[in-house]
Amino acid sequence: MVKKLALLTLTVMMVVVLAACGANGKNEGTTNTTGSTGSNKSGAADPSPAKKITIKYWYAFGEKIEEAKQNMVKEFNASQDRIEVIAEHQGNYDDLHAKVQAAFAAGDAPAVTDLEIASTGVFARSGMLQELTAFADRDKDKVQLDDFNPGLMGNAYVDGKLYGLPFMRSTPILYKNITLLKSVGLDPEGPKSWDELEQYSRVLKENGKIGMTLPADIWFYEGLVAQSGGTILSEDGKAAAFNSPEGVAPVEFWKKLASEGLIKIPVGDEAGATADKDWANQMSAFKFASTAGVSGSLEIAKGNGFELMTAFMPANKSYGVPTGGCQLVMTSKSSDEEKEAAWEFITFMTSKENTIYQHKYVGYLPTRMSAVESDEIKAHFEAFPQYKVAVDQLEFARPRPMETSYPEVAKIIKEAIEKAILDPKVAPQDAMNAAAEKANKLLSK
Amino acid sequence: MTVWEKLRPYSMVAPSIIIFSMFFIYPIFYMIYLSMFDWNFVSPTKTFVGLQNFKELLLDADFRQVLSNTTIYTLLTVTLTTGLALMLALWLNRKGVFHAFVQGAIFSPHIISLVSISLLWSWLMDPEYGLLNWAIGLLGFGKLEWLSHPSTSLVSLVIVAVWKGVGYNTLVFIAGLQSIPKDIYEAAALDESKPWTTFMKLMLPMLSPTIFFLVIINMIGSFQVFETIAIMTQGGPINSTNTLVYYIYEYGFRFFKIGYASAAGVILLGIVGILTIIYFKLLSKRVHYR
Repeated sequence: MVKKLALLTLTVMMVVVLAACGANGKNEGTTNTTGSTGSNKSGAADPSPAKKITIKYWYAFGEKIEEAKQNMVKEFNASQDRIEVIAEHQGNYDDLHAKVQAAFAAGDAPAVTDLEIASTGVFARSGMLQELTAFADRDKDKVQLDDFNPGLMGNAYVDGKLYGLPFMRSTPILYKNITLLKSVGLDPEGPKSWDELEQYSRVLKENGKIGMTLPADIWFYEGLVAQSGGTILSEDGKAAAFNSPEGVAPVEFWKKLASEGLIKIPVGDEAGATADKDWANQMSAFKFASTAGVSGSLEIAKGNGFELMTAFMPANKSYGVPTGGCQLVMTSKSSDEEKEAAWEFITFMTSKENTIYQHKYVGYLPTRMSAVESDEIKAHFEAFPQYKVAVDQLEFARPRPMETSYPEVAKIIKEAIEKAILDPKVAPQDAMNAAAEKANKLLSK
Repeated sequence: MTVWEKLRPYSMVAPSIIIFSMFFIYPIFYMIYLSMFDWNFVSPTKTFVGLQNFKELLLDADFRQVLSNTTIYTLLTVTLTTGLALMLALWLNRKGVFHAFVQGAIFSPHIISLVSISLLWSWLMDPEYGLLNWAIGLLGFGKLEWLSHPSTSLVSLVIVAVWKGVGYNTLVFIAGLQSIPKDIYEAAALDESKPWTTFMKLMLPMLSPTIFFLVIINMIGSFQVFETIAIMTQGGPINSTNTLVYYIYEYGFRFFKIGYASAAGVILLGIVGILTIIYFKLLSKRVHYR
């Protein structure tokens, strides 16, 4: 009896193991990722396939952002009966990118995914993304590429080829607690420049507050470099430019303000959360944050009883901001049928109606000019001027660097900034020079 | 002897061997193979670069800091965990409701998921709003930066690891203490041995297999620390808590340099391998086995 039982157990285990091997082999071997439509390769031209196509869509972030995405997916699924989109949450952008990469290597990538704009270069150049130029040309009446805000298209193209459509796009903006500003006698219209930001912070410090809690975030740094008239990388992207006077000025500015206790620069993984908490608790009057936070911040301000206004990031030589957020991209290993379905889904998600919807629900930019000019958005701006700032600020926006090694370079820059700020003996210029030397090795490859 | 009887032992171990080869042996060789390529995991072309990845790694100051971070973290964690656990075990090695309660209380972190623990300690260690800074404020001390400053971040992670590990280690030590035969104690008592002498000459040698086991297990575990770092610090601030496994993850899945990450993996494999061999060669000679 025991023998028989053991034999049975063994057989079951072997079968399980072999089945697992088999499944693995199949996934690697074929390009069809979802499997369910494998037998039905009737071609892209067939408008009404017998079977419903199921595609996966992976997205980042929770709360309001997730709700908006899920609602739009539900609407898409309800709007037609040929395509079923399964939307799956994958954490923040870094988590999402790592999972898409691993899934792609395993032959199980989602057909559509969010992609943080600065990573478009890495993904496109390694062959993970489907070029969308042909799709966009074919459906140009429906997609209307030139309707997208030109300030947002810089990261949609890699080496002249279209890879993504702007989806939940953002810029950093300045959030102001104007109740606090008024209570210490400051003009709630400011600060409009770096000097004014310093003066404001000085007054706030005299009143037991601080100007801003500010994580040394690469995205904000990109903004301050733009405001100083510089760039992060050289024009061809093969060398660092952030050790120029324009690139060092933001670090010196931050270091000066932090050393006098006018602003606080927390470091580490919780820095962003700390900045939000200090601002919500009215310890600091300002914060830099993505326009994606407008709806959430309005709720916080209301709950904590203060009035919130948004503004451009203060100018140094000029205004300037990076854009951010994500675009929708298609992975390259899906079947033709799935790609058609994915394309239909992407055009739906980036339509005029949906960009208006997500803008009002979350606060991300309306990506299309027709949306910005629509009566619905105009009425919304009228009622909530806080949402309008990011759109106006786009005039001064620039794309993020998309070099393949930029994620690593960004880490090097961030560490250099933190080192210069934390250690009084480290001069910003020296820290940035050392970082530039490291970055040049990576960029010149 | 039938054919089945001859085959039986092999078929019995086959599932284990198959799974072991699939998930341990094959990945190890594949990693060594990948460490000689410049590849991003997905592009169709791999470029053979020989030992270039290793050369770059060893010339990289950040990687040397990662190695020293990992070593310091391991030394601190292993010494503190085993040391504290031994003291606690000596104290708790008796009957009584109170002692049973303490034993249960210090063991409980062992069964909690490390992810929950990391989040919990992130809140406790928050420099502005955390419970720990509030508590030391009550005692009249200034605020500590905990995870937010390079000078305290690594030690903060050690504290979490010790808190998590000490209960399990204590339990193993208590088991070890209780397996020491009573008659040896009686003999020592007859010789009027002082408590310290009893501890040094009797208990410690009799416990040495347990100590040996725990040190090895803790070292291997500490060298592979990942979860707390991924959740609490992401290697920062300024690379001060970046350890080998997190570094490998960062390069493999954040910067898409799988060859470079594999090379770091090979170095980790080498270090853990060498340590294990040294431990078995040196320490096993001194360990007292009955």
